[in-house]
Amino acid sequence: MIRSDIIRGHLESIILRLIYENDQYGYEISKQISLRTENRFQIKEATLYAVFQRLEKKELIESYYGKVSHGGKRKYYRITMLGKAYLKETAREWKVTKEIIDLFMEGLD
Amino acid sequence: MNKIKNHVNELFKDIPKSEEKEIIKQEIFQNLEEKVYDLVAQGKEEEDAVNKAIVEFGNIDEIKSELGVYNVNRDGDGKRIERAKIDLNFSIWGSILIIALMVFINLYYSPSTIWFVYPTFAILWWPLSMFYRWRKLK
Repeated sequence: MIRSDIIRGHLESIILRLIYENDQYGYEISKQISLRTENRFQIKEATLYAVFQRLEKKELIESYYGKVSHGGKRKYYRITMLGKAYLKETAREWKVTKEIIDLFMEGLD
Repeated sequence: MNKIKNHVNELFKDIPKSEEKEIIKQEIFQNLEEKVYDLVAQGKEEEDAVNKAIVEFGNIDEIKSELGVYNVNRDGDGKRIERAKIDLNFSIWGSILIIALMVFINLYYSPSTIWFVYPTFAILWWPLSMFYRWRKLK
């Protein structure tokens, strides 16, 4: 499991992407992240909810209450129009960034 | 499950009361519970699951800064400046008294040699350091 600062800078995009696929609640997202990265990256709950706050403040996502599960109502998040645009933009940015970093990292081992 | 609830309450205890806080607290509690149920469903003992959920939570400071708790810190800074100012005042008056005493002893008992300058210089470090501490905080 890595906990790198590089990933930290992209947590917003990672979470936005998951919410973009379908509306999700907190635990579902953290589970998805562990699952898809095969546990190579795990998000701490504290980080996750801090990112939710930030994304909501920037109006990239919005929340609503869903069905009642164990204990309480699940708080679901859905992506906004602005969020979709932002995600698209970060995806484009990432592509360029990756190309640049690859220029210097490729061929080393 | 009480342990989770207590833990969440503990985490949020020094965050000032607000509607936002209650909402996020409720959300975190609900999701941690969900995590515990999920871990139990995967075959973990409930106690292990609860502990795992708590350990993996991470550092609450991240959420604090998103909730704007730094406002509270700013108040704390104000208090620290206030205290530094009191320290500075105290050090000025304290050193004046000590220096006056030195001058008095010097002139009264040994007027032929002027030695009070030396302790005066030594004592001046006190208000001087307090002054710079106060200025730094300001």
